[in-house]
Amino acid sequence: MSKVLTESAPAAPRARGLAWHRQNRVQERALAYALIAPLALLILLLIAYPFVNAIWLSLTEKMVGYPAHFVGFKNYVTLWESARFRIVAWNSVVYTVGSISAKVVIGLAMAVALHKAVRGNQLLRGFLLLPWVIPTVVIALTWRWLLDLYRGLVNVGLHDLGIISAGIHWLGNPDLAMLSVIMANVWRGFPFFGVSFLAAMQTVPQDLYDAASVDGASAWQQFWRISLPSIKGVVAIVTLLSTIWTLNDFNIVYIMTRGGPGAATHIFATYSYELGIQSQRWGLAMAASMYSLPLIALLIVFVVRYLHREEPAS
Amino acid sequence: MSERVFRALVVGLLLALVALPLYWILDTSFKTGRQILMSQAIYVPRPFTIENYSYLFEETRFALWLRNSALTAVASTALSLVMGAAGAYALTRLRFAGRRTFGALVLITYLVPPGLMFIPLYQTFIQIGYTNSLGTLILAYPTFLVPFVTWLLMGFFRSIPRELEEAALVDGATRLQTLRRIVLPLAAPGLLAAGLFCFTLSWNEFLYALIFIADDNLRTLPVGLSEFVVSDFAFWGQLMAAAALASLPVVLVYIYLHKYMVGGLTAGAVKG
Repeated sequence: MSKVLTESAPAAPRARGLAWHRQNRVQERALAYALIAPLALLILLLIAYPFVNAIWLSLTEKMVGYPAHFVGFKNYVTLWESARFRIVAWNSVVYTVGSISAKVVIGLAMAVALHKAVRGNQLLRGFLLLPWVIPTVVIALTWRWLLDLYRGLVNVGLHDLGIISAGIHWLGNPDLAMLSVIMANVWRGFPFFGVSFLAAMQTVPQDLYDAASVDGASAWQQFWRISLPSIKGVVAIVTLLSTIWTLNDFNIVYIMTRGGPGAATHIFATYSYELGIQSQRWGLAMAASMYSLPLIALLIVFVVRYLHREEPAS
Repeated sequence: MSERVFRALVVGLLLALVALPLYWILDTSFKTGRQILMSQAIYVPRPFTIENYSYLFEETRFALWLRNSALTAVASTALSLVMGAAGAYALTRLRFAGRRTFGALVLITYLVPPGLMFIPLYQTFIQIGYTNSLGTLILAYPTFLVPFVTWLLMGFFRSIPRELEEAALVDGATRLQTLRRIVLPLAAPGLLAAGLFCFTLSWNEFLYALIFIADDNLRTLPVGLSEFVVSDFAFWGQLMAAAALASLPVVLVYIYLHKYMVGGLTAGAVKG
């Protein structure tokens, strides 16, 4: 900064001399620390400290009203051997992979379909993004009501179209319950995927498509050879970000099924809630949260490296 | 199948996919309890009634939840904007030891999912002895808002030419003065976008509000809504009216804002 300053306005600083310059540098640093202090304090007290504390508590047995005592990896072993926890871990993977692959496919379809549309595009895109704006709780409640056995729009509609003769027990059947929470999650998330992909696609020069058309490439070939390769970075980053958050998603499952029927839709965060908040077994709850940490940490490293590469050097 | 037909088909399907659940909310919210219970007139509210909406204000604590949500969202947004703008300015414009590391730390913080943090954070608030207050939420929300604001504003600050600031500095203005008189006014659209984003994220937040608040009178809208459903039974008419009203502020914000939202938000908001 001050280097640039001397270059762009050489007269003034030189006239003021080296001492002024050094003092200026010190002041700049002091101001910087003052400005980041609140942010640093927040990160330290409400993110770093809770986090380290959580790792410690995951190695203890902690009940409400009693001090924690150290038990080593006992909580981790208990969870590892618990059939319920294994179901939870598997469900989290199914929920994440199912949701994200559907979002990528629908998002790509949306981006391709909107790419060359001209009129009403802005309005259309705006409307399609609505699910991403409205509260997740509203979405989860709405889907619960949409899938209601007797009076929900889905069953009544399918029945009136003559597709089914009896109501489908969406939230009562273990497999369908998982499908249902995934559907709600996809409904909420695909517009963001689509709009991100579309934004990336629109940076591709039109000439490329024109040249391909002249050479006789079909729309399908243009998609595979031009659109997809040029947006693969955005696809990767959106997928990574979404994986981090979907693995630890809570709202949709909690509201639609509470993890049920049985443990059919129980995932990491709803299970931590059950252990920590409902059963008050803090140590176990922390350990359950920590199990997804290595994977989350790895994904975060990928994202940070990617975004740092994108970020212009300042 | 020709390309144009394919496009039209996809657009039509997506429109229906988005529109149907939204229509279902409004449709249900204008029906009488009897229509819903007896599954009469599934597709249109007939007779049309606004009794579900008036019920919310007369018979439930909806107005109180609305107030709590608004208070929490506005306060945590203001707090996050101040902290985030200060941090972003230092990270883009000032030189200090550890700048790059700190920038990376902010980004990592942004990525940590609330689903992983809620129990550790709750434990910390218990230790401090500060749970069950709107203040708890106002302090907790910045943990995911501030990193986001910082990241967003860093982009805006970078786009402001350094020369403007340098000219002012040479003329004898202090750093703080250039921040207040030059950088912040020029970054106003960014501040507005960041602020409205924060408002939306706070307004929609559910998990922390569910865990940290036990007092019925301090519930925010999403938590209040979630407790409308009693075991397997719910008053769907009232609930859908509440859902529509709870979505209204963020939809209005979004209509005004969506050009900012759609633009360069790669690290944006899949979250929440």
